[in-house]
Amino acid sequence: MNGATTGVMIEAREVALSFGETPALRGASLTVAEGEVLAVMGPSGSGKSTLLHCLAGILVPDAGEIHVAGRRVDTLDESARSALRRDQFGFVFQFGQLVPELTAVENVALPLLLAGTRRRAAVAEASGWFGRLDLEGLQQRRSGELSGGQAQRVALARGLVARPRVLFADEPTGSLDSLTGEHVLDLLVGSAREQGTTVVVVTHEARVAAYADREVIVRDGKVTTPAVAPVLS
Amino acid sequence: MIGLGLRLAVAGGREAAVRLVVVAVAVALGTGLLLATLAGINATKTQNLRYAWLNTGADPSTTAAVAGVDPVWWLAREDYFHGEDLGRIDVAATGPAAPVPPGIPALPGPGEFYASPALHDLLRTTPAAELGDRFPGREVGVVGDAALPSPGSLLVIVGQPVETLAGQPAAAKVSRILTTDPANCSRCVVGLNDTMFTVTLSVIAAALIFPVLIFIGTATRLSAARREQRFAAMRLIGATPRQVSVLATVESTVAAVAGMLLGFGVFFALRPGLAAIPFTGATFFPDDLGLTLVNVLAVGAGIPVGAAVAARLALRRVRISPLGVTGRVTPKPPRAWRLIPLVAGIAELAWFVGRKPETTNGQTFAYIAGAVLMVTGLVLAGPWLTMRAARVVAQRAQRPAALIAGRRLSDDPMAAFRAVSGLVVALFVMTAASGAITSYVAERASPAGDSVAATSLSQTFWPEELVPGTPAPSISDIPAGLAAIPGVTAVIPVRENLREISSDSTSPQGPGLIRCVDLARTPEFGRCPEGARTVAVWSDLIGPREPGTSPDQRVWPASNVTDLDSLRLLSVVVQTDGSAAAKEQARTALATTNPWGRFPATEAEWEADSARTLVQFQRLADVVILASLPIAGCSLAVSVIAGLTDRKRPFSVLRLTGVRIRMLRAVVGLESAVPLLVVAAVAIGTGFLAAALFLRAQLDYSLHAPGASYYLIVAVGLAASLAIIAATLPLLRRITGPETARNE
Repeated sequence: MNGATTGVMIEAREVALSFGETPALRGASLTVAEGEVLAVMGPSGSGKSTLLHCLAGILVPDAGEIHVAGRRVDTLDESARSALRRDQFGFVFQFGQLVPELTAVENVALPLLLAGTRRRAAVAEASGWFGRLDLEGLQQRRSGELSGGQAQRVALARGLVARPRVLFADEPTGSLDSLTGEHVLDLLVGSAREQGTTVVVVTHEARVAAYADREVIVRDGKVTTPAVAPVLS
Repeated sequence: MIGLGLRLAVAGGREAAVRLVVVAVAVALGTGLLLATLAGINATKTQNLRYAWLNTGADPSTTAAVAGVDPVWWLAREDYFHGEDLGRIDVAATGPAAPVPPGIPALPGPGEFYASPALHDLLRTTPAAELGDRFPGREVGVVGDAALPSPGSLLVIVGQPVETLAGQPAAAKVSRILTTDPANCSRCVVGLNDTMFTVTLSVIAAALIFPVLIFIGTATRLSAARREQRFAAMRLIGATPRQVSVLATVESTVAAVAGMLLGFGVFFALRPGLAAIPFTGATFFPDDLGLTLVNVLAVGAGIPVGAAVAARLALRRVRISPLGVTGRVTPKPPRAWRLIPLVAGIAELAWFVGRKPETTNGQTFAYIAGAVLMVTGLVLAGPWLTMRAARVVAQRAQRPAALIAGRRLSDDPMAAFRAVSGLVVALFVMTAASGAITSYVAERASPAGDSVAATSLSQTFWPEELVPGTPAPSISDIPAGLAAIPGVTAVIPVRENLREISSDSTSPQGPGLIRCVDLARTPEFGRCPEGARTVAVWSDLIGPREPGTSPDQRVWPASNVTDLDSLRLLSVVVQTDGSAAAKEQARTALATTNPWGRFPATEAEWEADSARTLVQFQRLADVVILASLPIAGCSLAVSVIAGLTDRKRPFSVLRLTGVRIRMLRAVVGLESAVPLLVVAAVAIGTGFLAAALFLRAQLDYSLHAPGASYYLIVAVGLAASLAIIAATLPLLRRITGPETARNE
């Protein structure tokens, strides 16, 4: 709780993490306001994905502190971090996120099913996202029957369906052409704003960052652009 | 290209190494089973040849005079000790040039005998009154292995005076010792029907090798996606499809050769244990489980060639273009027609209920055809049944684990069923065999340990077996001290009934007579009708037993012969308290007093041969199930691992998003357990149905529930399979860790 500010969703202080002898983060600090869309940019190997994984409780930093919604994350055990990811966060990655056996609508419903929602209700809730994401009619398709853009929109719906407080997106358009990528970003940002979800999107593309409220740059394991969050009311 | 293939196979990274090891282990299992079967067939033939000399005298070729050979008087009989067969050969040489049986240096003279090693040991540890007194004279040596069907054979060769043995009606004068395989000798009475055992072993081998082949096939699909990516990369840089095919073939062949060599090692390591399995009724000498040069060459060359062919065939299922795998064959859902052979098999067996074919050949054809139809039908119907069960699971699933597992199973039920199809065959065969054998034994009222069939001995003096000219047997031929032996509760003489024996089963008229006052003292053998003084009985006071009734419920038919004292003695029945000491002492006393003719035995010992054969088949079925369940478990485990590898990325992402590992464990568990348990239930059900139909059609018997051992074996086998699957679960945590999602 220490140091958490009202209106701040995520705060990272002097986060450091090494993989063996290789340092990935060297004292990265960052603040993200509630409802903000933040783009984390940087060249390949700069540590931006590692920072996202630390913020999301996937990796535990060697040093520093991370607070999410006023709760310190880096000291939680694996089980508590898993619960946090499951209950509070949504994720969108570059590719390969859909369970191949399940239909598109079942993939979207998966977080709700995991949270204990009855199947019929979960599928009904998931179906609602298909119209919003221009996926109407694709509910019963399997992942192998979807185009890259369609699969990414299904993954986006899955990331948002449980109404997470934070959506973490790691190169969400990395495997898409520019037109499709823009469409996905439109939907990602639009849907997140609609339900007040905070978004942290990692990208190396400037056009992606253009959709964000603010951008920071990670270079050599540090957040080099001063990151002062505008507190939204 | 072959060199590159070899390098990729042995140094292609951890996944290639794992695949190599798993395939090699699968091939080793298959090789070991194949070698064990071939060795079993060879051992059966060798054992049968060891029985050959015991048929001397039975085959006319041995009794023909041979110039320069002094004939031997020869009498082969069957005695018993503690329920085990004890072969006894009485011999008397008529001159110095007499033929000598194998295993002994010379024929024993009068007052001498040779004992087999097992009997030799028993003679040292058993009171003479229970065993040793049966053999006159002194032991002059031990019978060598060449004359012994089994290391545990109880056998004695007793020397007799010529004049004594020459007078015995059953003795033969032989000039040569028989060496013909009993299977090729129509007059032989001792030995095995080794053709039957060869067929049985082949069926068992097929039942065992089937799941192993499935295991090999599943193992070669391990990391298939990664392997196909590698092949695609090679196509991209210019490798031809033929070159890719060579690479795949080399990889599979390396694993097959390694597995084949390992299989030979496994076989030789397990050979002593295999020799101890008495599947012909007797254990084997380890050296009898040998392999011929043809066997070694066929297995040594056949398995790698088979693996190479299998690899080429497997690669034909996918087309690897330079841009990756294209045209992967999407399995079509199985159709309902697959149920037809199963239903036809059931219908065929059901049709014969009340319409039993008249000839043995007709019956054999009818039941084998039905069984084959049912086994084929089960294997064909399995994918359809798996699909239906999986669809039900998926439709009703409320939790993601059941939904994912159900969907995966219903997407490719063929693959899911393939992993357990060997199990279907094994469980069906075992259940049908257990059901039929248990019911047969129960209906035949196999004697319980405390039944008179197991506790009473009888010695019968059949007129045709008596030495001509000797006085008829009488009460004085009953050993004086018989009744005083501890544990002997009654000694009952049975007189010869001169009336014709009736074959009318509703009013049996036995060959013996007994006074009702004597019978009243031993009510366990039945009773007399009201007012009768004498009744007609069987020589052992038991006779053919009626299903569902015990001997004490029997009412023997009255006889109007009253003067029994004037009649000759037909048999003597000795009732005991069931203790082995009392039975063996009584048997020894009777055999010593009346050493010729048949030896005293219990009804249970007479019946033991057929019961033993049934029990052996039951044991073989148990071996099949115990071996095939874990193999099926291995196949399932490998297919689970292959499935996990295919879904490594989405599963890792799920874990990354906070999904508990136990949910993924549940997916894996359900994907394996559902086909295993569904298929087990179907196989068991149809096995019992087949047994019930066969019993009703052939014997008009009802199906009886098998004993606890059946359920125990099925439970242990299923538990072992599930344990093997559970052993793959730790892998799940490792291969779906966050680093997978980060790095792949």
